[in-house]
Amino acid sequence: MSEHRSDERANGIDDAQHDVVVVGAGIAGSLVAKRLTQAGFSVLVLEAGPATAAAFDDYSNHVQAFYAATSKGPESAWPPAAGVPQPDTADIRTGDGYFVQAGPLPYGSTYTRLQGGSTLHWLGVSLRMLPEDFQLQSSYGVGRDWPLDYWALEPFYGEAEHEIGVAADVVDQTHLGLEFAPGYDYPMHRIPPSYSDRLLAAAVDGMTVNLGEDQLALKVRNYPAARNSMPRGDYRPVGAVDQRRAGQGDGHGLARDLGQRCAGNTACTPICPIQAKYNAGKTLAQADGRTLQVVAQAVASKIQLDPVTGEVRGIEYQRYDDPASARHTVHVARGRVYVLAAHAIENAKLMLASGLGSASGMLGRNLMDHPSIYGWGLASHPVGPYRGPLSTSGIDDLRGGPFRARHAALRVDVGNDGWRAPTGAPDSTVTDAVANRGLFGTALREHLRSTLSRHVRFSLNVEQLPSRSNRVSIDPRYVDLLGNPRPVINYDIDEYTLAGMAAAKRVYQEVFRRAGIKDCTDPEQGVWFPSVAYQGDTLHYHGMGHFAGTHVMGNDPAQSVVDTDQRCWEHRNLFLVGSGSFPTMGTSNPTLTLAALALRTARHLAKELST
Amino acid sequence: MTGPRQLDGSRRLEDFLAFSAEATAFTVFELRGTGQSQAYLNTCDGIVGTEVTDCLLDRYDAARSAVVASESTLPELLRRDILSDPQLGPVARNIAKMWFVGVWYELPRAWTEAFGAREGNATFVVSTQSYTEGLLWPAIGANPPGAKAPGFGSWAHPPRIPVFP
Repeated sequence: MSEHRSDERANGIDDAQHDVVVVGAGIAGSLVAKRLTQAGFSVLVLEAGPATAAAFDDYSNHVQAFYAATSKGPESAWPPAAGVPQPDTADIRTGDGYFVQAGPLPYGSTYTRLQGGSTLHWLGVSLRMLPEDFQLQSSYGVGRDWPLDYWALEPFYGEAEHEIGVAADVVDQTHLGLEFAPGYDYPMHRIPPSYSDRLLAAAVDGMTVNLGEDQLALKVRNYPAARNSMPRGDYRPVGAVDQRRAGQGDGHGLARDLGQRCAGNTACTPICPIQAKYNAGKTLAQADGRTLQVVAQAVASKIQLDPVTGEVRGIEYQRYDDPASARHTVHVARGRVYVLAAHAIENAKLMLASGLGSASGMLGRNLMDHPSIYGWGLASHPVGPYRGPLSTSGIDDLRGGPFRARHAALRVDVGNDGWRAPTGAPDSTVTDAVANRGLFGTALREHLRSTLSRHVRFSLNVEQLPSRSNRVSIDPRYVDLLGNPRPVINYDIDEYTLAGMAAAKRVYQEVFRRAGIKDCTDPEQGVWFPSVAYQGDTLHYHGMGHFAGTHVMGNDPAQSVVDTDQRCWEHRNLFLVGSGSFPTMGTSNPTLTLAALALRTARHLAKELST
Repeated sequence: MTGPRQLDGSRRLEDFLAFSAEATAFTVFELRGTGQSQAYLNTCDGIVGTEVTDCLLDRYDAARSAVVASESTLPELLRRDILSDPQLGPVARNIAKMWFVGVWYELPRAWTEAFGAREGNATFVVSTQSYTEGLLWPAIGANPPGAKAPGFGSWAHPPRIPVFP
């Protein structure tokens, strides 16, 4: 790996002409940059946030920030720059953060605006979407169909799994109609399931639940994960990134001796200290440094159009030196082709701020998430939680089936991190035991041993359909320190998804009963989450960080923002990549699918730029 | 090395450790092994003042001496003489929590109303090391998230939870 030029040259950049200008150094932008530099094209990547995750010493400072944080939420290791604010879980309750929550319900998810993007703190679960997820409208009469089917994307799923480094065994994944190319298997063997997964499977496998008229048998299955495991064949796991500025380090982009296997740090979110879990910096470090230029601390603020051709002729950006200050200079990046890979929200925001993409009326609309339910309980025996990757298994059987004509599909994520997410345990278990139970000394330690070792947590992730009224928009009254608009979010959860959430609650209760797990779920006592009333019940939901749908892909320019290559219908040299292009999201985490789409677009661009 | 202040200082630390062992059910040997003893004593001194800490350690010392001739157990004496005390109880509980979590928790409002607000009395992680040295993790056979990784595949096996007396 050779050094790529860093931010020092930013001031001289206005005159340079690149083949491709990419906005955003997250997973989608990094994949496009890697592919296109390797094909010999010059690529400029503009990254709004600092590049502090790129050199290992700097990355380690983020680990220290996590250690020192009193509240160890997903954002705790990744504070944003002053001029590049980001949504924060803590702001959902106050409604007073980067997002302008315009209701009726709060949108519960967040993302990170740093080089590497939200892959810096993602969980790493990398499920493919089901074939039926691509044809929800024609199969079940709900949602929208994708303009692509599963098989059009299948080769790119395989490519994405190798780029990201996904550990799984195909034999565990072929259900619900999911098929793989003949002879294919993942680049690494599956991550070993946790001890608690195995105990749960022994108790649950084969039990059935009813969803409407469908009776579905359950099985605890291993989750494909972007975490390094034992390699298959000649695949080489990619460890930590150590990309330094010129004159520092040994010039190698990847540290050679760290992170080649998951070591069980139990901190996928918010930060894997050894980078055994994939982050987008790994991909960017593998781009061809001879034709790659990355400018961090460069906030794309406006897309300039050629008034005659309607094509993009430049992207204005604000370059700042001091992350603590809003002082900046304005520049213009020029290329033949422009790729927005800044996140579903940021892509739409930049388009809206530039007055573009309004023809279909779909820009910013169809915003989705996986509103999710927590269930937590006490197993009858020690199951060894708070160990290993945060999740190694799930129950997939409710992701597909005819019941989807009536209510949302769902997926059961089985946690290895006890009650941390819903209650703040184990810390809160200590404070509760001391303050409320009056325990001290031997009684205290015995209480911790006997309860914490039995903590079980499910997160039930529920599908959400696209809706025109769930949207991001901008409003000149709400701007950040650099004068860029803050996202205004309108969000609601409809009957279809609410019924799925109610079913999810029933399912975890049945599974707990079957497994002899005492249900301790009590949202009033746990961490605060937004709630919604449904049929006399109160459903507390949390976001999954799964944004999708803001620049929907389609075959009809009147009904979509981008085509199947993620090209903007209205501006031929402008591409919007990422989960914003998803017509629907099914129940899988969006990262793998958006990576597959980005690779598909990169292949298309390599061809187009050659002619 | 052997001046009277130093001797007092180490005696204080010994008493703090002995009391902490009582508070956590970890041995003095294990507590020393965390490397956090002085930092926690300093934190306690820094927030509530050395006089309050000394008062707590004196009570502990007295209880330890009294238990020989008493029908009560040491935990019972500690409950009566320290944990039930409106000033010393919350401080003792904070010391226990600090050992388990590595965090100084803000003292309850009732405490500051009765005994005065203290500068720095907010909830904070004592240090990055104190987080990774929290006793909560060995108490349940786990590692602190983001540190002391036990190795590939270790999570597939039952937890090894240490037995304690």
